[in-house]
Amino acid sequence: MTSTQITGTRAIASSALRGAGLIDRDERMRDASDKPGGRKGASKHRAHRPRPIDAYKDHTPGPSRTSMLSARVTGAEPLAIRGAARPTAVGRMRRNAVSAVTGKPSLEPRTPTVSKKAVDVWREFVKSRYNAEAQFLNLERMLDDDIIRRSRLVPPGAPGSSLREASVIFKLASQLKPEVKTVSLANNNISQGQLLTSLPHYLPNLVNLSLENNNLQLWRDLDNFSSRNHKMEQLQELILIGNPLRELEYKNGRGDKYRGEIGRRFPSLTVLDREPMTVISFDAPQASSSTASAKLPAATTFPADMQGSFITGVEPSIVSGFLARFFSTYDNQRASLMDAYHPSATFSFSANTAIPTRARMQGFQYSKEMPNQKRLEWSPWLAGGHGGSRNLSRMAGGLDKMVKSLHVGSEEAVRAMCALPGSRHDVAGSPEKFCVDAWPVGEGAGMSLFTSVHGQFTEQPVGGERSFDRSFILAPAPEGSRAKLNGWDVMIMSDQLVVRSYSSPEAWKPGPMRVQHGDPLPAFSLSQIPPEVQQELSQIVSGPCPEPQRSLVLQICQRTGLNVKFAVECLQSNGWDLDRAVKNFEEVKVRACNGVYVLARVDVPAGQSCSRCLPIGASTSLTLRY
Amino acid sequence: MSVFTSSDIEIAARAADQFTRLYYHTYDSDSRSDDIPNFYRSTSTVTWNGTGYQGSEGVKSMMERMPPTKHEVQSYDCHPIPGNQPPSLMITVSGTVTHGKGPAGNPASTPRSSLEGQPRVFSQTFMLVPDPTAPPAKPGEVAKYYVGADAMRFVG
Repeated sequence: MTSTQITGTRAIASSALRGAGLIDRDERMRDASDKPGGRKGASKHRAHRPRPIDAYKDHTPGPSRTSMLSARVTGAEPLAIRGAARPTAVGRMRRNAVSAVTGKPSLEPRTPTVSKKAVDVWREFVKSRYNAEAQFLNLERMLDDDIIRRSRLVPPGAPGSSLREASVIFKLASQLKPEVKTVSLANNNISQGQLLTSLPHYLPNLVNLSLENNNLQLWRDLDNFSSRNHKMEQLQELILIGNPLRELEYKNGRGDKYRGEIGRRFPSLTVLDREPMTVISFDAPQASSSTASAKLPAATTFPADMQGSFITGVEPSIVSGFLARFFSTYDNQRASLMDAYHPSATFSFSANTAIPTRARMQGFQYSKEMPNQKRLEWSPWLAGGHGGSRNLSRMAGGLDKMVKSLHVGSEEAVRAMCALPGSRHDVAGSPEKFCVDAWPVGEGAGMSLFTSVHGQFTEQPVGGERSFDRSFILAPAPEGSRAKLNGWDVMIMSDQLVVRSYSSPEAWKPGPMRVQHGDPLPAFSLSQIPPEVQQELSQIVSGPCPEPQRSLVLQICQRTGLNVKFAVECLQSNGWDLDRAVKNFEEVKVRACNGVYVLARVDVPAGQSCSRCLPIGASTSLTLRY
Repeated sequence: MSVFTSSDIEIAARAADQFTRLYYHTYDSDSRSDDIPNFYRSTSTVTWNGTGYQGSEGVKSMMERMPPTKHEVQSYDCHPIPGNQPPSLMITVSGTVTHGKGPAGNPASTPRSSLEGQPRVFSQTFMLVPDPTAPPAKPGEVAKYYVGADAMRFVG
């Protein structure tokens, strides 16, 4: 084994390009300790993608996965590669034809760059350029490299190079140990982003990448290896200094836009062109916290039953009154909703076009009750509304569309809404088709109401049913504001609409839910009822209370959280019919403090909160009640 | 009240991208009971299908009783909310979630038409708020954000 040799004494930073990206060629490390071919085993797990390197192999390739794609990747020699990879009659003929022309063994493609010798040279080159200690692969100025020159290979970026060389280099890089964290491709005159297409495939965990002083000109070039589709999710630092793409943007005073476009494409980036990116961060779980102490997810039941609308900390009539008026106006006089939005409000809509599994199994698309489902189309949602659907997970790289599809200001918001298909929300007629969760957030002057609505509407004029989710941030409308003057007690600060294929409102029907088929539904057994409730029950319905009624009371307690006294009242007023009682409860309930429900119209004592409920403060009620 | 610049919007979208990826990856991982509560604070308010939970502790107790999950995010959107600076963010996510072992975990005798075990459509809305007690730690960091409010429901 040859030992590692590093000439020069400069310390090399282990992860940041700033430190590591400037290693001179004479300082590069030579590492001949790896036996040729010794890493083939390690590459086996990547077998699901086309492997341009297959073309270099001197043994018969395994089952082909390289037909179309490899032909594209390898470009110049589609016939030879296809033939080599797929032992068919046609392939044999083609190979024979090739060997007849070149006089070489049939498995060896024609161009000199794809000989067996070539891959060995590339391997030697890649090893010579790897600093294992810094996990840094220095691929700068490849055209000047002695090894490459000697063998007359054509490196990526040089005239006459193809995608193949780049793919081979990245594949060899993927076999290096320890794993490559940093790659510098500086000073290679790379002008085609396509050359980098295979980079995220072979080096998916790359942390730092320099493309300094190349010739990349178009955003499209970056899209070949950007983070969309979960590529390069670990990339923290990128250098594009000295590429026309960047330099032109700065020259034209669009540096901020340039950084935004890059951020859009590489969301994990923290440093761009040696300057920190503006980022928002979270308490992301650290690798170290994922230790053995973790309790593995093993529950076979859900933590709670499905519950109806959750409205707390605010007079329910404020929420229901707002929603009833909002949807009615949205259906009938959309333009006049301008009054309900704050002058700086934000609005966007997005389409989730996926077909919901359960709805598909239930056959809603072909149901007789909804004859127009097949006539619904996504195009008015995907492209309509002055900017189109704002599904950020499907949005191609561009910053423009992302900005254009967010409508800022009441005028813009309503203009966009008016350009969307018409609707009929039957809020009044079928309340069970809607579900609301709402509670106050923030404090004092910043108090607002976090509101999330799920439901369905009939799309007009087609007449088909759609499901939707709509989330609002609402704030009390100040005296004298346009909203207040027009009778809106709350106004909209933010509004996000998601439109989906139709799913049944059964999804939020209150009651127990199963995880797997055949699981017992959570039982209403006496042992599960808290002791204090049992005691209460025995006091209130002692003596003459027959067993069936006792069981109904327990079920009501379990399903609604009502205490026994109210459960009995609720059942009595509904003729001891469980379903009617639950429904009635859902209609009138308001959640109060101390973990119990009380029936509607009972005010919450100011400043109370408890561990099971959400905090409810005096300011909440005062601010939101008018 | 200032109107958002395209840079504000882009930063918010990037944060949403990071957040949704991280959040659901963590949610579906073995260490979720320890890690998911880190996204919340004691003042956070959370509902899961209409049941309320309070703070990181509440979230932890919920996660401990949750069957294994597999989320697929099909759509998400994010706004900076007009008001404070740096702004709070509202993120809505639409996707599917499979619990337990999914359809494969149903007994062999399960009718083919049974919906149990099949993926559900979920809708989740988050309000992310900057944490004033955790000042920016790195250059370029606007603020550390946590989940102030989170409403999750099965909707299909």
